[in-house]
Amino acid sequence: MTPRRRWTVNTVAVLFCLVWIFPVYWMVNTAFKPRPEVMTATPVFVPEHPTLDNFVKAVTQQQFLTNLTNSVIVVACTVLASIVLGIFAAAALSRFRFRGRRTIMVVILAVQMLPATALLIPMFVMFNSLDLLGTYLALVLAYVATVLPFSIWVMRGFFVAIPAEIEEAAHIDGATTWGVLTRVLFPLVAPGVIATGIFSFIAAWNDYLFAYTFMQDQSRYTLPVWLASFTNPHTGTDFGGQMAASVLFSLPVIAFFLIIQRNLVAGMSAGAVKG
Amino acid sequence: MPVTTVLPDAAGAPPAASAPPHPGPRRRRTRAPLWLLSPAGLVLAVVTLAPIGFLIFTSFTDYNQRTLFTGKYTSVGADNYTELLADSAFWMSLVRTVLFTAAMVAGSVLIGMGVSHLLTRLGRGMRFTVTVVLIVAWAMPNVASSLVWNWLFQPGYGIVNWFLDQLRVFGDTTDLNWAQDPARAYVSIWLLIVWQAVPFIALTVNAAETQVPQEYKEAARLDGATELAVYRIVTLNHIRPTLLLVTILSVIWDYNVFNQIWLISRGGPGDATATLGVYTFKTAFVGFHLGQGAAISVVTTLLLLGLTAVYIRRLLRSGEDL
Repeated sequence: MTPRRRWTVNTVAVLFCLVWIFPVYWMVNTAFKPRPEVMTATPVFVPEHPTLDNFVKAVTQQQFLTNLTNSVIVVACTVLASIVLGIFAAAALSRFRFRGRRTIMVVILAVQMLPATALLIPMFVMFNSLDLLGTYLALVLAYVATVLPFSIWVMRGFFVAIPAEIEEAAHIDGATTWGVLTRVLFPLVAPGVIATGIFSFIAAWNDYLFAYTFMQDQSRYTLPVWLASFTNPHTGTDFGGQMAASVLFSLPVIAFFLIIQRNLVAGMSAGAVKG
Repeated sequence: MPVTTVLPDAAGAPPAASAPPHPGPRRRRTRAPLWLLSPAGLVLAVVTLAPIGFLIFTSFTDYNQRTLFTGKYTSVGADNYTELLADSAFWMSLVRTVLFTAAMVAGSVLIGMGVSHLLTRLGRGMRFTVTVVLIVAWAMPNVASSLVWNWLFQPGYGIVNWFLDQLRVFGDTTDLNWAQDPARAYVSIWLLIVWQAVPFIALTVNAAETQVPQEYKEAARLDGATELAVYRIVTLNHIRPTLLLVTILSVIWDYNVFNQIWLISRGGPGDATATLGVYTFKTAFVGFHLGQGAAISVVTTLLLLGLTAVYIRRLLRSGEDL
């Protein structure tokens, strides 16, 4: 590449980075500003009097801890359930050949692509008549429905990568099917299980629609609903506080994305973490 | 796994393409698959298949707010569907969804391809920087980024209005209310979706683009092809399957977009930005016509089914060991 061409390409790259990172920068920047620097006609590009007030306000808000707890409980149950159920199903679909296997895989993929309302409406009605609206169970069931098919699919990929010889050797040494699974296969897919768990975490942690529809009470909200309801219709939205809250809410997800970045593309293609 | 043919997975395993074609599923007669599958199978039957059955059932009833308290409803046959087909609001939202999806997919795929190509031309440091920027933008939960968007486009204090004002070509833009004007609401939602979608597309396409054999490109260059021709003839041909896959996925995702529209414009002003998802939600949970909402959802799903079928067929065909 000629120096001139190199220069052009780098300029384009820098411009792209500036544009693409700007919304994130503006969120972080606003989070550290005192109110007079937030609500100003001429934007303040670097906080002149940086402050943690917005974070303190967000965290000490009445509902923050309750809603954080709700999120953690529901997400933890979802991740646990989808990993435990998913790992066995993934093993069956990858290490055995049996009739109906293809059909099951097609169903798993198809369920993955359903529009949210296809589950939202009937689940709402069913949970209403079972008196489950507003409970953790309702949300966990909805999240398992969206996360389990995906986690089976992704873990299946990790099982497929294990060579048959390892399994055969264990069988020759007299291991039972159960023994091969728990002593040989599961340890080998452990890193994949962790990656899948993180994907499930992100999907459940980010959900707004189910929580918003099913929980219906401030004390039952999860963090995304808390975040969106930060707006105070009487005093106007406190953008400093809302951006600080957004930073806190996004941080674990951004951290996890950086951890699993090598699996991201494959995981996304399985339909997990929608945009 | 869908795209593992182009990417090594995190287990540190080699790319699936180099794995043996049949990594050992056994044909021994065993009941193992049955008991391995049944826990997940039972749960999936309860949380997905049952609701889908119930959705179809609900779509033939007059389920509404009263029903939620009394449990009483009547079967109305296909009334919900005939009403739907006669309802111009439904047709409008369908047209809106199709056009909006097309605009979002076109924007994100084209920009994503551009960024992917940009990545191949950068030095190490710059490529790393762009990748980190892409991952951070991608990682932002969509509820958070929708709220950030509201703040960027805020009338009076939003930086976008300030910036447009500085350009001095649109007049005084300080108090533009983006959410209250159909065209502007679309523009800001479109920008948000494209901003979020480009990282996945750019990184996926780039993974495929780096696999294009250099010899082919060199040969084309020796034959005097311009860089554009090299891209069009060699690169584009190699990355076509990946492009098709990300396009199908983008269509499915963008067709289903809900959070961003809801949090930015609530489908308004009026119904101007109510795509099928938002229209269904409003019918079912704002008007509480759950039966009618179910009917819209069934139609939405059926329309999506064709695309999903194409997607699944491609996945099954590309899957080495299926």
